[in-house]
Amino acid sequence: MRGRKETIGAWLFLAPFLTLFVLFVLSPVFYGFWISLHNWHILSKNAIFVGLRNYSSAINDDLFRISLVRTGYFMLMVVPAGNILSLLLAIGLNQKYRATTLYKICFYTPVLLSVTVVALVWRWMYSHDYGLINHYFHTDVRWLEDPKSAMPALALMSIWWGAGGNMLIYLAGLKSVPKEIHEAAELDGARPWQRFWYTTWPWIRPITLFCFVISLIGASQVFGQSYILTQGNPAYSTLTVILYMYQQGFGQYQLGYASAVAYLLFLCVFTLTLIQFKLLAPRATK
Amino acid sequence: MKPLSHFLLAALLSFCALQGCSRAAASTDKALELTFWNGFSGPDGKAMEGIVKSFNREHPGIHVKMQIIPWGTYYDKLTLGLAFGGAPDVFILHEARVAEYADHGALSPIDSMDGLDPKDFAPSVLQVGLWKGRRYGIPLDCHPLGMYYNVDLFRQAGIGHPPTNLAEFVDDAKKLTKPGQWGFAMTDIHLVGSTFLYQFGANLLSPDFRRSTLDSPQATEAVDTLLSFSDTYKISPPPQGNDAWMGFQMGKIGMVFQGTWMIDSLDHQKGLNYAAAPVPTFGPVKTVWAGSHTLCMPATLSAERRMAAWQFITYLSDHSLDWAKGGQVPVRLSILDSPEFDKLRIMREFAKELPYIHYEPFAVTANQVAPFADTAIDASLNHIDEPEAELRDASRRIDNVLRRQ
Repeated sequence: MRGRKETIGAWLFLAPFLTLFVLFVLSPVFYGFWISLHNWHILSKNAIFVGLRNYSSAINDDLFRISLVRTGYFMLMVVPAGNILSLLLAIGLNQKYRATTLYKICFYTPVLLSVTVVALVWRWMYSHDYGLINHYFHTDVRWLEDPKSAMPALALMSIWWGAGGNMLIYLAGLKSVPKEIHEAAELDGARPWQRFWYTTWPWIRPITLFCFVISLIGASQVFGQSYILTQGNPAYSTLTVILYMYQQGFGQYQLGYASAVAYLLFLCVFTLTLIQFKLLAPRATK
Repeated sequence: MKPLSHFLLAALLSFCALQGCSRAAASTDKALELTFWNGFSGPDGKAMEGIVKSFNREHPGIHVKMQIIPWGTYYDKLTLGLAFGGAPDVFILHEARVAEYADHGALSPIDSMDGLDPKDFAPSVLQVGLWKGRRYGIPLDCHPLGMYYNVDLFRQAGIGHPPTNLAEFVDDAKKLTKPGQWGFAMTDIHLVGSTFLYQFGANLLSPDFRRSTLDSPQATEAVDTLLSFSDTYKISPPPQGNDAWMGFQMGKIGMVFQGTWMIDSLDHQKGLNYAAAPVPTFGPVKTVWAGSHTLCMPATLSAERRMAAWQFITYLSDHSLDWAKGGQVPVRLSILDSPEFDKLRIMREFAKELPYIHYEPFAVTANQVAPFADTAIDASLNHIDEPEAELRDASRRIDNVLRRQ
């Protein structure tokens, strides 16, 4: 009797969230899959059911494959480098010296900016003729016009933009490491690097997993950077999956095809996340 | 108690009366409100606003509310409105997009051009707004690609008249090129690239719109010619987007090809002495890229609103001389031949191209296939790959898109 009452109570508490979740997350997810099975122009009154044809066309579409590769390239540049930078910043800020709060604010401020603001600022920095980067480093690189440098340029900007966010999480993790362990290690004569590797790292491993997964998912959905700066150009070198999906769905109104692209990306990210959990999680719980 | 309740009742009644009164007053001068959407966010918007104002003044029964949505987001908003409700009563479509919207039944067919004389339209633009032989839109204007040139630089180089063909163009551009100054610069890959393709007899799609013809030798020849300006003749810098246009404004570039919409910003440029001329003919075909703003109505309009909307459309077409002053070349012959239009010294030069303009394919897929050629030409000019290989890739990708339909 009491059990049932408790269950009802639990459902009542969950109801507000569940309603919104079902309405705005779950049902669009399934509806999106339904759309992906149709040849669905946004204006068409009767969309034609085509089964999995959108999926097979996407797999055979070299631009979709290019966009997958370019997104993977972006993730490879941003996720490890971004996390290492965040961790280094956090370790630096975990030391005892003055004005750490000021540094925290400085490193975190870019996170608060919208991608539009960041992109517009960096567009000036990357400008071939008037840009700060070419000016100070005495380089002559057409950063955003050369297909070799365009994606690395977007990645560098993204790392700068996002490093502060993970930095705070890593910092919280570092602060939670018990002081006794450090002291014990210090007494045993461990060098700073050994102290980090044998005491700190095992403690912050779960946090690392969390940050990696979150930034991996974030990087796989990269859109604003290339949408604002390059529109996928030059020569499709910055064409990311989400940008391609956007172009198909909202540039050309091919909703069925765009949904299929979205589902294929979901499958890729889901698989990658599973692999990461398998690689990083079990040892962390030992 | 009683007096109070009487008082309240009286107050209530008089309040109702007042309400009724004000409602009655409103209904007598209530005009039919029409919404009109376009993307004229530049100086052309001001010109259009003036025409709408005078229409509202002359037509007390109709009140047109114009909303300007920058082109970048215009089609998103319009398409959502047409798909799910909230569409405007009159709106602009670019000529190449009429097919897509008409094909999905979103546009109101115009079976009678009551009040507009088709014979008064330039013959080359009458094809605009047609889909499968039926009319869905009225061309408001035409904006062909034209040539702007720097009169002072021409004079210094001793050039008497603007070039009309490839040999003259290269010759003049060589005279105009010296350190810190270029004879020509590419300001818009899409417009200039399309013009070159058309002039060499190439096109994006076959006449039945079923396959791409970008892999033709003519297309390669067109891009090779464009590439020769920076590579062989060294009369043009590599593509640099907006910087090229800035260069012309600063008087560092002799010739550029652009649309009519640049006139206003050039007129405001101090110290720039410029003139316009038709684009030279570089290939075997005398033609030039052009676009047209097309006036359309949604299929869902009621008879009453449709009548008012049509009245507004005919008014805009009749008053396109005012439009020419802030926007684009009119397409009504009576206006083109008028002495007032002849006074617009730049616009007049663009209008000379009207008889031989070339539109983008009127295909349902026009918007889907348009970007591929630009990417290929851009990559060729930036030496990412040979023009032939780039165009072959673009052609294959267009065929991919067509196969998905």
